[in-house]
Amino acid sequence: MGGRRTGQILLMLAGLIAWAVQFTAIYGVTSTLCGRGWADANLLGLEVVPMTILSATLVTLAATAVALIWSFRNYRLAKHQPVAAVDDFVSHAAVLINGLSIVVILWHGIPAFILPACA
Amino acid sequence: MNAPELPKAFERGEEELPNPLPRPEGEFEALKRAWKPPRGLRFLTAVNNTYVGVWYVGTAFLFFILAGILALIMRVQLARPENDLVGHGLYNQLFTMHGTVMMFLFAVPAVEAASVYLLPNMQAARDLPFPRLSAYAFWAYFVGGLVFFGTIFFGLSPDGGWFMYPPLTSTKYSPADNADWWLLGIGFIEISAIAGAIEIIVGVMKTRAVGMSLDKLPIYSWAMLVFAVMIVIGFPAIILGTLLLEMERAFDWPFFIAERGGDPLLWQHLFWFFGHPEVYIIFLPATGMVSMIVPTMAQTPLVGYRLIVLALIATGFLSFGLWVHHMFATGLPKMSLSFFSAASTAVAVPSGIQVFAWIATIASGRMRLTTPSLFVIGFLFIFTLGGLTGVMVAVAPFDWQAHDSYFVVAHLHYVLIGGMVFPLFAAFYYWVPAASKRALSERLGRWVFGLMFLGVNVTFLPMHITGLIGMPRRVYTYPVEMGWDALNLVSTIGAFMIAAGVAIFLYDLARNFRFTLEDNAGNVWNASTLEWLPNGTYNTRSIPSVVSRDPLWEQPNLSKDVEEGRYYLPGTVTGGREALVTSPFDARPQYILQVPGPGWQPVLAAVFTAAFFLLLTVKLVFPSVICGVLAVGCVIWWLWETDPGPVRPPADIGGGIVLPVYATGPMNHSWWAMIVLMVVAGMVFTCLIFSYLFLWLVNPGAWPPQGVRIPDWIWPSLSAFLYCASGALVAVASRQLRGDDRRSPRSVPVLIGVALPLVCGASAIDLWMQWETGLSPSAHAYGAAVYAITSLQIFFVLTTLVMGAYTIARWLAGRLDNVRRTTFDNTMLFWYYTAGQGLVALLVVHGFPRLTGGL
Repeated sequence: MGGRRTGQILLMLAGLIAWAVQFTAIYGVTSTLCGRGWADANLLGLEVVPMTILSATLVTLAATAVALIWSFRNYRLAKHQPVAAVDDFVSHAAVLINGLSIVVILWHGIPAFILPACA
Repeated sequence: MNAPELPKAFERGEEELPNPLPRPEGEFEALKRAWKPPRGLRFLTAVNNTYVGVWYVGTAFLFFILAGILALIMRVQLARPENDLVGHGLYNQLFTMHGTVMMFLFAVPAVEAASVYLLPNMQAARDLPFPRLSAYAFWAYFVGGLVFFGTIFFGLSPDGGWFMYPPLTSTKYSPADNADWWLLGIGFIEISAIAGAIEIIVGVMKTRAVGMSLDKLPIYSWAMLVFAVMIVIGFPAIILGTLLLEMERAFDWPFFIAERGGDPLLWQHLFWFFGHPEVYIIFLPATGMVSMIVPTMAQTPLVGYRLIVLALIATGFLSFGLWVHHMFATGLPKMSLSFFSAASTAVAVPSGIQVFAWIATIASGRMRLTTPSLFVIGFLFIFTLGGLTGVMVAVAPFDWQAHDSYFVVAHLHYVLIGGMVFPLFAAFYYWVPAASKRALSERLGRWVFGLMFLGVNVTFLPMHITGLIGMPRRVYTYPVEMGWDALNLVSTIGAFMIAAGVAIFLYDLARNFRFTLEDNAGNVWNASTLEWLPNGTYNTRSIPSVVSRDPLWEQPNLSKDVEEGRYYLPGTVTGGREALVTSPFDARPQYILQVPGPGWQPVLAAVFTAAFFLLLTVKLVFPSVICGVLAVGCVIWWLWETDPGPVRPPADIGGGIVLPVYATGPMNHSWWAMIVLMVVAGMVFTCLIFSYLFLWLVNPGAWPPQGVRIPDWIWPSLSAFLYCASGALVAVASRQLRGDDRRSPRSVPVLIGVALPLVCGASAIDLWMQWETGLSPSAHAYGAAVYAITSLQIFFVLTTLVMGAYTIARWLAGRLDNVRRTTFDNTMLFWYYTAGQGLVALLVVHGFPRLTGGL
């Protein structure tokens, strides 16, 4: 598979990969800090656990938004110029997957606003 | 080398098909001869996907019946209070074996088995790319599975529940061999599942009909691709878990013993990181089957193809974020639980997308109420109910109430029977006409469906209430005054209704199933996909080019033209078995793969592999080692005949396309398999590093424990240098093997020969230095974790040693040169992986304790 094809597949999966990164970061940091009794750890006056969840959510959300815009652009281009059916399919799938990923990432960031860090 | 461009005529009219008529005399006979399975006792050595697929499905179904019988015994025991049909000891074995056999010996093998049969036919490939690997996976599973099941007759079956939680399964509470049967028996059957997954990934990506680009791939192939990737990611966790628990039991390395720094929760993490995706691993292939059956029965294309692909991929990802929802009652912080709760609810979305797509397809066509349709409707009903209770137990506070009660038993059976067993029965009724002279009986099929559908609901619907009023799972009896008797009696009656349905199915099978390929009942449903093309042992006479997702509906005369040999590769160009390898994205022909034929090697290798693990279970170490050596010997014998090189010049397959009969590098099918194998290895290693970090987390101030010294930096530095040097020498050897002229430089075996002691030395130094510091693997979890990482690395180094020696032997035998170099490439990839893993292992073992400063 050439570089262009690999890029298309990566773009198609970008949102879900971003979710995996967010999930690993928020669960890893929460488990480590709570497991070690460092729940009250502060950075610049902010609690580390909710701040990590928030920043991991924002960063992965931004990355997914970029992937969504990019894939939507490809999809629009595919509608206006002759491309192979497989390219049209992949660009459409990329829009759908990245769109769903936005919702999934947001959904996973919500607990930071509701629950205490290590209760 | 780039894939040749397809001629534009690939969408031309029938008069311009790739190969003209009449076909040369003897062409078809040569094709049939090449694919003819052996006769007599040698029939066991057949590797054709059709034969292995049918054996595989049959064996999986046998285990379904055996595990079902165990369930019936349990239901009879629970039919009335204080029953004494079986005692608590046997009951423990019964529920452990029922769950284990259903999950590991029926569900996963059944869907893998079905794909061994269906995938090549559906993609119009001549066979899977590694037919001997399929045969090996089947025989290992067949022998190992039967012996494992036989333990129930000797009171030796595992009895710690299908998820085998320590400390119950640790030596202290389970000193007998029962738990070892699970750990070694199931551990090795998982290896068979991984072998199948590698086959499926390469098969879907590389052996398809010409023009079957990703947008035209049958949904079943998509589902199997996601399924196989999930196995590759998920199964290593349980393989590592079983290894660690077995090492604890055999050598007293305390990974799960809290008194010495271990933690039983580590097992739960490893088990459920595999265990929850496992549910989707068996569900996704079933949805793939449903997505093939529904359009046929409704006689209309599938609605929402792209959304279903999205759903499959999203489920594949999200299902790896659910595992802790099995651990909601373990006392983890609520914030952590909420992430898994979120993922557990989110994963319902893609499942819902699929359900709505099927309903829309049914609504847009005219659904015929055949037996497969009934089972699909039953699946939608039962699985949706199971999904709804799934959302309930995904909510942590509810789960705390229902945990370990019969509510959970009801939920999981609704999901698994609805999500996998009903689609599988639909698939039996749907695809039998493709493999049998006669279709199964529609009249009997309705009885089968009716009894099973009612039986499932009668059995499991009351269990929701039984659980909510307090009956815990896994109790062998209960007192009269608990008020559970009537509900349990109803459940038992329901279980026998299911059994009656299955018995009628067996009768139908015995009456109507007559295996054949050339003379099958044919496309009785007017289906649209390629498995319904006329076929034989060679699959299709010629390999079609397709221009839509429903080729049999949209390409008139396709069956006739394929059968007459008017499409690609209508004969054999090398005189042997061949498959057409296509590019992964758009399915352009790349090269002609010379497929290995029947042989005793995979059968013997499988038998000896099974014997190695099973003898080890009963502590017959010496015979076990002999069997292990024989298994490796058989694999080498098997491999020796592969990598044939370009046995003839490039050949014309029709339509002006001329293809080589050999390829190397990223185009080669075994290069892909090696990459997937490295992902498997990488996941095992990642899970081990996770275990190391987890054990650090639960051991504040004891990493390393008091009195343990970390080796000086000089030694890991030397070790790292040796790994790098060995990799560099292999890279130089690879450069020596470049060029188009057939030559085999002497420097290649010399470089490999020098690199081998370097890579061995690297891991030996590390092991020796740890031992030198006096670190004990059994005193504390720290030592156990360090030695586990070192041991895994030694295993990889020893494998590299065998592969390196094998590569040198091929050079000496004149079977390796700069064109015929696939063996070298595989060894090189594995070598780089081993060296890379060694470097990371050094960094973790020596760097992490220094980084944390003993925190």
